[in-house]
Amino acid sequence: MFNRSRRNLASWFTLAMGSILVVFAAVVYYLKVVDELEGLDRLLYKKASVMVASVKLEMHDGQQQLDLEHVPLLGSMVQPLPDSELVYAGWYDRQKQLVQFFGKVKSDRLLVSGGFDTIKTDSQVWLRQVTLPVYQHGLLIGYLQARMPMTAMENTLAEFRLVLAIAVPITLAVVALTGWWLGGLAMQPIRHSYDYLQRFTADASHELRSPLTAIINNAQYGLLSKSADLEGQRQRFQKIFDIAKSMSALVNDLLFLARYQGHLPTEFLHKIDLNQLLAQITDDYANQPDAQHLSLVAKLPSNSITVLGDANLLRQAVINLLSNACKYTHAGGQVYLQLFTQSHWAVIQIVDNGIGIPETDLPYIFERFYRVDKKRSRKTGGFGLGLAIVQQIVQSHGGKVRINSTFKEGTTLQVFLPLY
Amino acid sequence: MQILLVEDDFEQLEPLQGILSEAGYTVDAAEDGEIAQWLISQKDYDLLIIDWMLPTISGLSLCRQYRLSGKTAPVLMLTAKDTTPDKVMGLDAGADDYLVKPADLVELLARVRALGRRVPNWQGDSLRIADLQLHLAELSIERNQVKVELSPREAQLLEYLMRHPNQVLTRNQLEEALWECGTEPESNALTVLVRKLRHRLQILGAGDWIRTVYGMGYRLKPEIYEW
Repeated sequence: MFNRSRRNLASWFTLAMGSILVVFAAVVYYLKVVDELEGLDRLLYKKASVMVASVKLEMHDGQQQLDLEHVPLLGSMVQPLPDSELVYAGWYDRQKQLVQFFGKVKSDRLLVSGGFDTIKTDSQVWLRQVTLPVYQHGLLIGYLQARMPMTAMENTLAEFRLVLAIAVPITLAVVALTGWWLGGLAMQPIRHSYDYLQRFTADASHELRSPLTAIINNAQYGLLSKSADLEGQRQRFQKIFDIAKSMSALVNDLLFLARYQGHLPTEFLHKIDLNQLLAQITDDYANQPDAQHLSLVAKLPSNSITVLGDANLLRQAVINLLSNACKYTHAGGQVYLQLFTQSHWAVIQIVDNGIGIPETDLPYIFERFYRVDKKRSRKTGGFGLGLAIVQQIVQSHGGKVRINSTFKEGTTLQVFLPLY
Repeated sequence: MQILLVEDDFEQLEPLQGILSEAGYTVDAAEDGEIAQWLISQKDYDLLIIDWMLPTISGLSLCRQYRLSGKTAPVLMLTAKDTTPDKVMGLDAGADDYLVKPADLVELLARVRALGRRVPNWQGDSLRIADLQLHLAELSIERNQVKVELSPREAQLLEYLMRHPNQVLTRNQLEEALWECGTEPESNALTVLVRKLRHRLQILGAGDWIRTVYGMGYRLKPEIYEW
């Protein structure tokens, strides 16, 4: 699935970048053609101008006579120009009739009145042609037409095309490879969150299916059993009730996690005196069976520390942390609940000298359904959601959670909440 | 029939074990892969019911190891993994049957019966050896149209003997087969049970089919009279 998406991303990237590249190459080629043509026209115009400058109009017997004898190529009184490149030159009179010409391909009548044209000869050679109307003393005396082959320009353009034909596919290949690499980079976070979601779904379905199966099995066994033992049947009902209750707690936790995503809206936030809240929680929790086997001590400051938040949610977070600390601390151990401030934060710290968390498990400890020891946690009634809930509550208050733990020595959990 | 049931969730294990025991099977239960592995090395089971997701050793590797060790008893995989690739993987690992949780216990019992029928001398819904038939559902034996009822324990003993005909079965082997792992039968319990069963068979004229092999144990050897 990911490879297909990565391929798609790379293809679309290559297609988009490739199209841009091809359009760019086409524009560059067009500009090159225009530039080459301008150069050729300039040269042709220069040569034609030299010829025009040599045309003389003389008066003979009161009549004007045109002298073309001194015009290069056309006249006999000048040396032929070496390397002139012109293949045709012709002089046309005012009526556009051919008077004198040089070169092979001639046209007896002028079809245009001036400007540049491109024509093709019978021998499939492209020629650039310029037609200049020639004036003297403000009077039109004739037209000069000159043609030059475009072979040199065609050769230059062919070379340029070859360069493009090699460079564009190579660049396209580089673009495709870059696209594939970028696609891989783009897929990475998606793959991570997909893997996480897969794991979460698998865990959630396992955690929900196990109690469901246990309920169904117990109920069906009760129905099918031929035993007349009433106490046994009562115990079976008790078991079904207990499992259903724990399943209901799990469903509540899952719904909780689904409900409180992101920051809490301001209407949920109230001023909370953390000293008061923590003192109350410690008093309540000290009587819980979890805390009976150890000493739970609260170290609260004399000055009041206030934060903005939802008291019920914060209570749930602290109780989750206390419950974890008490569950995983041996009989006779100690759990400290402390409150202090650190720059702009109120810090709730829970320190225990319990069994600790192995270093390899620490990075995953806040993941949903993550349990260090599956069997042990199941026996103690945990689903591996407690710390995920704590983190979500604290983050929804704009705070953060930190954990420090040494295996077999104890754990310190710190909750940072922004001070009011 | 001796069944090994491997399931890590006690809440699921307990009713399964209960219903199977009530159906007349000897059920040993294990809550993790390592215990199951040890039990398999100690005893020959007629059927294994294994959950896939187990602590220490997964049900899948347990099944593979069991097959690699050359044992042939049927394995039923009972798991919450319900996709087709999972089923294929489970069956390819050596399971004979695959049941998805939550399973109907009536269906589970039917599958256990079906897998139990894979012994050569199984006929209809009863085990047969020579002209003696043991009807497991109604706990009775029949020979020449004469029927005698048995207690569940007697039926279990005869079933085990009939599943291993002509083999010398040690007292230890028989005790393991009839009493669940961890329960200690009284020293003469097996002797008393064999005597009771012989008495029932006596009525059908097959009292001496259960032979005592001195110093070793017992053997079921049908007397075929040739006329």
